[in-house]
Amino acid sequence: MPANSLITIIDDDESMRKSLAFRLRAAGFRVASYGSALAFLDAPPDIGEGCVVTDIRMPQMDGMELLRRIKSSGRNLHVIVMTGHGDVSLAVEAMKLGASDFIEKPFDDETLLTMIRAALNSAEASSRRDGKALETVELIRSLTAREREVLDGLVAGRSNKDIGRDLDISPRTVEIYRANLMRKMRATSLSELIRIAIKAGLS
Amino acid sequence: MDRGRNPNRIGDEDTGLKREGEERLRKVIEDAGIGVLEVNLLTGAISCSAATARLFGVACEALATYDDVLALLHPEDRQSAAQAIKHCIKEHGASELDYRVLGPSGTMCWLCQRSQVYSDRDNVPTHMRGVILDISKRKKAEAELKSREEHLRSVLEIVPDAMIVIDDRGIIISFSAAASRLFGFTESETVGRNVSMLMPEPDRSRHDSYIARYRDTGQARVIGVGRVVTGQRQDGSTFPMQLSLVETCSGEGRHFTGFVRDLTEREETQAKLQELQSELAHMSRLTAMGEMASTLAHELNQPLAAVGNYLNGCRQLLEGTQNPVASEIQDALNEAAEQIVRAGQIIRHLRDFVARGETEKRIERVAKLIEEASALALVGAREQGIKIRFAVDPTVDNVFADRVQVQQVLINLLRNAIDAMQHSTRRELTLVVAPTKANMVMFSVSDTGTGVPDDIAPRLFEPFMTTKLHGMGVGLSISRTIVESHGGRIWAEPNEEGGSIFHFTLQAATESQTDAG
Repeated sequence: MPANSLITIIDDDESMRKSLAFRLRAAGFRVASYGSALAFLDAPPDIGEGCVVTDIRMPQMDGMELLRRIKSSGRNLHVIVMTGHGDVSLAVEAMKLGASDFIEKPFDDETLLTMIRAALNSAEASSRRDGKALETVELIRSLTAREREVLDGLVAGRSNKDIGRDLDISPRTVEIYRANLMRKMRATSLSELIRIAIKAGLS
Repeated sequence: MDRGRNPNRIGDEDTGLKREGEERLRKVIEDAGIGVLEVNLLTGAISCSAATARLFGVACEALATYDDVLALLHPEDRQSAAQAIKHCIKEHGASELDYRVLGPSGTMCWLCQRSQVYSDRDNVPTHMRGVILDISKRKKAEAELKSREEHLRSVLEIVPDAMIVIDDRGIIISFSAAASRLFGFTESETVGRNVSMLMPEPDRSRHDSYIARYRDTGQARVIGVGRVVTGQRQDGSTFPMQLSLVETCSGEGRHFTGFVRDLTEREETQAKLQELQSELAHMSRLTAMGEMASTLAHELNQPLAAVGNYLNGCRQLLEGTQNPVASEIQDALNEAAEQIVRAGQIIRHLRDFVARGETEKRIERVAKLIEEASALALVGAREQGIKIRFAVDPTVDNVFADRVQVQQVLINLLRNAIDAMQHSTRRELTLVVAPTKANMVMFSVSDTGTGVPDDIAPRLFEPFMTTKLHGMGVGLSISRTIVESHGGRIWAEPNEEGGSIFHFTLQAATESQTDAG
């Protein structure tokens, strides 16, 4: 992990922004923080690799638009998006736009630190991820055809009702598949299930 | 002929004058359309006037005997007329009878025949003489009046309002069928008695003075206005009623007609409505509170997360230092961080509890569901001396459920069971879990409490039904919604050992369920 990496926190909530900055500094990171995406884009860019931790729902410019700008600018920045509770479809979209990872608020600080470290230490991260991904691919292979269809629907950000309609089964049956999926994929939440699936190359 | 009309008895000099007078009178009678008839009872021969023949619609010559007259009567009236005449002759009396004849033009005429039987010296009836009048108009008017009366009566029979007519002394003249139903008295029990029998005291003893005052002063208190008063039924029970009074003056004097409407049901409805409204107000407060809780949870999450970040940051900063106090501070920070996690969990549960929308159903272990729910529900139960027994069938493993919701149902049923046993000497709470057919799992919570009153039982799972003093009556209704949204069923039955048993079912979750699909 490059020693001098800059972590940029973008969140319109001041208490979150300041406390997170303190937490990351305590963990030994160089930290910058901005109250809006525009303020960050206006600031002179830092040299070298870095990681942006941004809230997804913000006034003026939201996290998704910021992600698009960063990716199109060609800057060497990893982006981790912070989503609200139940913002699964937004998280899926962010991953498709090239976000390194997403984390659902409220989160455990250790989880975020692990994510940041993984994103910055690309080589290590990718190898670790590959190992994890390989394992996930195996898990996905163990799914039945129907479970796989339901998983695809969930990754596409569709509701139980929509998936049921697509597959011509009742929403209640979708719920059963979904519960079995979670158990098989060893996921504790829907967002984790989707994260695992996307990282394994499902989208 | 008869003595009274024997012309030989009258002096010759007067004869011409008398005859002239008689002729005039005969003409008057004839012109008035009054028929005259004389029957010789010894021969059966009759003589009649031209008017009589006209009334019967035949020529004079056609009426030779009384049988000829009878033959012209309406078939339905013939026999009764013959009998009446026979009776009259036998009694040497007078008779008046009405009958119908069919006139030549085919129209029905009503005739009235007034007859008198005359006898000779030996008291043998010899003649019957009488007059015949056309009473068709009178009969028609009578029939019309009767039909109007019938109509009015039939209307009054079916109007829900009871109708009572009294005279100006308060004596009941008429008491409708609806009045009988309402007050429980029959018409015969009331007509002729004082209307005050239908009211409780103090009106009962004062009613006569009310009428007297109105009679004397003309000042109406109820008449024409209507008001709500109290009525008293035959069984002594009283009820609120709307009374409308109208006054009618006819040739027979002053009458008051009262229309009475029973307000019992209306007042009950109003009371119920009021009750429901206050419950609704309570509910909306609860809903508002739920929404507030949800907002609060969201708002509190941010500062809690911030505090967590500061605490964990501090802890990490202290890690490298050698200060002897540092380790103590670190311990304190650890404790503080744990409390933050706990606060976060409480808030998450609160939010899950009030959250709406799609439920998250998972495969949940039954043992864990029960363990967590009972930990919360049975707080203080043992201290109350309640014996608790769990019996989970070993073949029951997983159910397909939203953990938070199903635990809410369990907590509800367990708390209800505890509440029901508050005043029981025997306090036993049992939770039995067993598999049922159709791949379901049945949870049964039984208590030895007061049981469910019969009148409540059918509506037990409806909103706002409660037997508790401070209950909202929403627990079981919510439970039913939850269980049914899980594809299960919830019901109650009496416990054979006293108290009640509440059952609900959930889908069992097995491996084969989706692997097969």
